[in-house]
Amino acid sequence: MRITASGQTDVGRQRDHNEDACLIDPDLGLYIVCDGMGGGNAGEIASTLAVEAIQAHLAEAVQHADLPLIGPCNATVSVPANRLASAIRAANEVVHRESWSRPDYAGMGTTVVAALLREEVLAIAHVGDSRLYLVRNGTIQALTTDHSWVAEQILKGLITQEEAERSPRRNIVTKALGVESSVDVELMEVPVKSGDMLLLCSDGLTRGVHPNDILHILSGSEDLPTMSDRLIVMANEAGGDDNTTVVVVALRDELQTGLWERLKKRFVA
Amino acid sequence: MPETLPQPATLLVKLHGQGSRHIELTLETLSIGRKADNTLVIEDPAVSGHHARIVKVQAVFFLEDLKSTNGTAINGRPITRHQLRDADVITIGQHRLVFQENAAANTEAPAPFVDLDRTTVLRGTDRISDGPMLTAKVLIIAGKTDRLEYPLTKQVNVIGSQDGADIRLTGWFAPKSAATIARRGHSYSISPSQGTKSLLVNGSDVVGQQDLKDGDQIKVAGVKLTFCLLSGTKSTAR
Repeated sequence: MRITASGQTDVGRQRDHNEDACLIDPDLGLYIVCDGMGGGNAGEIASTLAVEAIQAHLAEAVQHADLPLIGPCNATVSVPANRLASAIRAANEVVHRESWSRPDYAGMGTTVVAALLREEVLAIAHVGDSRLYLVRNGTIQALTTDHSWVAEQILKGLITQEEAERSPRRNIVTKALGVESSVDVELMEVPVKSGDMLLLCSDGLTRGVHPNDILHILSGSEDLPTMSDRLIVMANEAGGDDNTTVVVVALRDELQTGLWERLKKRFVA
Repeated sequence: MPETLPQPATLLVKLHGQGSRHIELTLETLSIGRKADNTLVIEDPAVSGHHARIVKVQAVFFLEDLKSTNGTAINGRPITRHQLRDADVITIGQHRLVFQENAAANTEAPAPFVDLDRTTVLRGTDRISDGPMLTAKVLIIAGKTDRLEYPLTKQVNVIGSQDGADIRLTGWFAPKSAATIARRGHSYSISPSQGTKSLLVNGSDVVGQQDLKDGDQIKVAGVKLTFCLLSGTKSTAR
């Protein structure tokens, strides 16, 4: 499968600095969006530290397969998926430790949505209200459920989606990375195939932009950087209240290789 | 829904052997300790010089123990740092501090203390957990595999020859990945991998993805399997 990806982040129209961070690492098959929170520039510090720590842990695991897993092992997902959760717990430790280093970092934290793609299996780990969408066969579906107060109320059937969108409490997340000494990571795995697209995004996009409008852009024929830019523009046109970050990943068929090439590859491998 | 205006959070201070009093938490930081430079001074040898502090981050309050000798507890549990919630009882030695957040809006829901433009963390609400996990297995009817029966314990179960495949094909020309069986919520579905020419379920070609039901016959990469959904009472007749 041929994987291409593009990311874009924007401060928006209301804020004076960008607390989001993102990462595209094709070698690791790793894609991350983080939305930091905290006073001063602490939010930026938290999201940047988290992204770096997750990448570092996964890169180290490639070098040293016996690197211990941090936290419990989840038997319902693969080894790489457990490694991804471990990386997020490692990042939690880093951000939490750093939050103690300076008074103005006290209480800082970040959301995270991270995807690890190997062959045709996608592992997704998230904490907070940054999301991952799967676009397949002309439909868009959120694979993550926000760890937010409004999402919990919707799950319990206490409020509707529309009420949630207007709720003054929609900024409350029920989980975040770095705030406590340990973090509860939600982890899942799904099969993916060529033709699929993934979108990781911070709530700056989903707050103002309807999934159908996102689908419309991602179903177009433009290249990925243009799609990313258009998503940012839409978020800003919807108010741009918050920082917006998007990472778009496209899974496409390998360019046709002949049987001979494939056989050769097999024997060389 | 009318929202009540946020009122300042307060700390009900009950020092041992003294009456109680309220302190409004208006400052960004409230320090607690034995020394005179603290905001709240507790003259007790069991209290460290700089014992703990309450830090306000946006609209959320955190209690931090400043590596005190005798420690700080919340609701009886020793902590180093903790996000304060309404009615949390802070214990320092024999002294009690009760955190009170916006008493007027103290309903079953979290108090609306939120700065609307900012993301805030709230902890401690229970998430709805997944229901009991369905279990399923596949039985190998024909073809080369390393076992005859595989429980489908994962969310994504790979059928193939690759390392880490859940249903391990051992034939010479077996593809690294032939198909995947995925569990989503309470159902299982199968989809062919890239390059798989033919995936049959009960004799029909699968394009994209197909839901599996008990007894389905799967044929892929020269292997025949039967999908079995395990329920509590039903036994799978062979």
